[in-house]
Amino acid sequence: MQPVHLLKKFLGHRGREQIPFAELFKRFQDILDKNNAAMELIADMDGKMGGDFVFDRKYLTDSVHKLKQLVLANAYDLNFITNNQFLAIYDTIEKLAKELEIELSGQMVIRETRRIYHLNEIDEGMEDTVGYKAYNLSRMVSLPKIDFPEGFVAAIGCFRDYLAYNNLFEKIASLIETFKKEEKSVESVSTAIGLMILGGDIPPNVRREILNAANKICKGKVEGCYFSVRSSGVGEDGELSFAGLHDSFLNVRFGELLSAFKKVLASLYNPASLSYRLKMNLFQMEMAMPVLYQAMVPSRTAGVLYTLDPNNPDRPECILSGNWGLGRVVVEGQAAVDTFYVSRNTPHAITQQKIGSKKWMLAPLKTGQARKVPGKLRDKPCLSPLEARTIVEAGLILERFFKKPLDVEWSLDEGGRLWILQARPLKIQPAKRVQRPELSEVLKRHRVLLEERGMIAYRGIGAGPARLVTENDDLSQFPAGSVLVSRYAPPRLAEIIPRASAIITDIGTTTGHMATVAREFRVPTIVGTEIATQVLEPDQLVTVDAERNIIYEGRIEELLHHQLLEESAFEVTREFQVLRRILKKIAPLYLTDPNAPNFTPRGCRTFHDIMRFIHEKAFQALLQTGSNPRAFLKRGGKRLKSQIPIDLILIDLGGGISQKAAQQTHVSPDQITSVPMQEIWAGLSSPGTWNMDPIPVDFKGMMSSVTRTRSSEVMGNSLPGVNLGVLGADYVNLSLPLGYHFTVVEAAVGPKPENNYISFRFAGGVTDITRRSRRASLLKNILEKAGFKVNVNGDMVNARAIDLTDRQIRQNLHLIGRLIGFTRQLDVLLKNDADIERYLAKFINQAVPPEKE
Amino acid sequence: MKETTVCILDDEPIVGDRLKPELEDDGYSVEVFTDSASALNRLDETCFDVFITDLKMEGVDGMGFLEKVKEKCPDSEVIVITGYGTLESAREALIKGAYDFITKPFRIGEIRAAVKKAKKRAKRNIA
Repeated sequence: MQPVHLLKKFLGHRGREQIPFAELFKRFQDILDKNNAAMELIADMDGKMGGDFVFDRKYLTDSVHKLKQLVLANAYDLNFITNNQFLAIYDTIEKLAKELEIELSGQMVIRETRRIYHLNEIDEGMEDTVGYKAYNLSRMVSLPKIDFPEGFVAAIGCFRDYLAYNNLFEKIASLIETFKKEEKSVESVSTAIGLMILGGDIPPNVRREILNAANKICKGKVEGCYFSVRSSGVGEDGELSFAGLHDSFLNVRFGELLSAFKKVLASLYNPASLSYRLKMNLFQMEMAMPVLYQAMVPSRTAGVLYTLDPNNPDRPECILSGNWGLGRVVVEGQAAVDTFYVSRNTPHAITQQKIGSKKWMLAPLKTGQARKVPGKLRDKPCLSPLEARTIVEAGLILERFFKKPLDVEWSLDEGGRLWILQARPLKIQPAKRVQRPELSEVLKRHRVLLEERGMIAYRGIGAGPARLVTENDDLSQFPAGSVLVSRYAPPRLAEIIPRASAIITDIGTTTGHMATVAREFRVPTIVGTEIATQVLEPDQLVTVDAERNIIYEGRIEELLHHQLLEESAFEVTREFQVLRRILKKIAPLYLTDPNAPNFTPRGCRTFHDIMRFIHEKAFQALLQTGSNPRAFLKRGGKRLKSQIPIDLILIDLGGGISQKAAQQTHVSPDQITSVPMQEIWAGLSSPGTWNMDPIPVDFKGMMSSVTRTRSSEVMGNSLPGVNLGVLGADYVNLSLPLGYHFTVVEAAVGPKPENNYISFRFAGGVTDITRRSRRASLLKNILEKAGFKVNVNGDMVNARAIDLTDRQIRQNLHLIGRLIGFTRQLDVLLKNDADIERYLAKFINQAVPPEKE
Repeated sequence: MKETTVCILDDEPIVGDRLKPELEDDGYSVEVFTDSASALNRLDETCFDVFITDLKMEGVDGMGFLEKVKEKCPDSEVIVITGYGTLESAREALIKGAYDFITKPFRIGEIRAAVKKAKKRAKRNIA
């Protein structure tokens, strides 16, 4: 270390010593309070994504401003506590605030990194990098039970490289200016730009990356490997508003992939696209064109599914058309095809079919040329009823996700496997939509099961058989298209949300984690109805109107259609899109591991990250203010007196220890008033948890030598050499370097489930790494059973539970208390692997803690 | 029975954009304005049964608009929508004859309920 740094450190340390301990803790408490306020604000903003609220730009600007103020205040407190060790955090905050300001003004902030993304590598929030078509496909790829051909996108970086490499930025900009000023016609400008783009050279890096990605998909066999090459527009909801404006190419040979790239780029400036931008006043946004490449499926049968009949949208039927070979004949309507009318209701029977005399088809592979259909196949249906059903099921899952009737391109390969190629909104004349006055007559005929109960978490209409899900149900058995009915809204339900047609809970909030997931998958959701699980019968057919907050008996097609044919969903409003964009820079938590190398001010990507970082660093700084029990006792810490042989120092942030004990240096467990600490202690001291046998080694000796070395290794010097509990009335942070390992528990308990959390970290042990890892995975089992999200890295266990009701959080804290005692037993008594299993069994078999409602 | 008419005035287009289809679904005839000048012009021609107005606006603000409505259309009812932290002016609006006030952001159901109540009262005023 440089002498200057040493000096700084020394001065810094002295500087901190001069700040009274009480003041430090007051600041820390302030940080906790402001974090809570910020989390509530974020949850409030997230709740607005459900569509039930009308909010304006001012709401967005005000919320971002308030958040920034809270985070800045915390950054100030952190630097106060740490003697300005984290000044870099201010830069991070300002930079992020600046980006948010730009988003609020309606401009785009594009953070491009790579040139090429495989469809399954596209993250949430990357629509501006990969374009909407690729982005939507990547979202669909995550839906269960649907297969998509492999593909990749040449992202916005490729477009920019291309323009830069060919010196086209300024030339195009000035041509567009002449168009905007109406000095030149749209045709002449479009032709001029088109020629410049087609005549350019593809930069070597783009060329290499496109061919490499394609080669990987072809698995090295480029002969006979074909792609579809499509535009993937950026800005607005490109998929909706620019539909059909840009070019797509099918059956592109490997050798033509690069020229297809140029052709798609040129179509960004075709006359229709330029006119549309002028009309919609979209020129202030950057024009850019990512290009989507997808492998062609060698199809036996292919075609198009309309999830509604555009001419008869009030009939509960889908239209399915298909032909042998590639689907292009069907798309372009060039030849006779088979048409099936298939019921939208399970089991999706074919109600009517017209079998065309199919003389021509496109050969599935190589040439893609038209050829004659073999005689015996001509008048034979190209789909079996089962295949039709499979296609319709997939189409309806997609329709539920997009909340719109869809036009789906599909393909069945030689093995009969279904592939979805594309899905886009189906245009249906608004006049065909059932109007509300007629609708209210229809609705009067249906029994209302629940009305104005609870809150709408995501707007929309969904129908299906009610499926009551309880805590111990096997979620993999949840049937697609059912209405999910649950007493609570635990995060674990997230895995079945994409398969539900609607969600109703008795208890839960619109700002909880489950509601957030429901919004992500666009599933109509009503939470907090209190009595849904009692009122709805298992498998009863219901229609959930999460627009008017009414649940009807039966399946009301008219209502489903009314919503499906809504002209524009709230999602396409500008305010909603801005909110979605800014939330991506606010709400996600990426910095979960304090030991990770990116746990730095620069590593913070969102406001949530910054809050997490400040919280952690502030806490570590507090712990470092003392290295032995005396240091903490001298400054107001109290020693816990109990039968349990654990030397625990408690520090009260306020409300954590009974007022009566204020003057005492020792407190007894019944003087703890911190709710989460009470629960942990109840677990830790429950019969059989703490082994009272004499400890075979010098416990104190272990703690002072081994532990401190160990904890500084794994915790980056952040753990004290003492067992320390920092308590608030509804907060606890317990750091226990017990024996050879360490445990850190942090928890907050309050009236709102979405603010409740428990985080548990554990590592270390006396044995070799294999056994420690084994023990880590045993802990993982226990914690996952209790609903924790668990990460195991070597012998380090990181577990977190969020969104817990009062009962759940108390149960889980009790469990954590027992777990602390249990892990210590392992350390002291562990002799061989068999012991681990034995003790695990013992732990699991111990009576479940009493329920407290 | 004659259709109930609703006028929405808010300089943030999103408010009218989202409320119009919802209220039309409830059977109202709805007109939307994003500046008070054109809303006042329309007021010269007709009295709506129910007015929904924002308070903070360029030109004649919501309070001024409320006064004009009360002067010209005494039987109509006015619902005021206000941003967070302007409760003081909401109180003033109530004194000046506004029927109800709703703070932004609001749930669509709140506005639908408020309009339903205001409509009943407006009809009573006329009867």
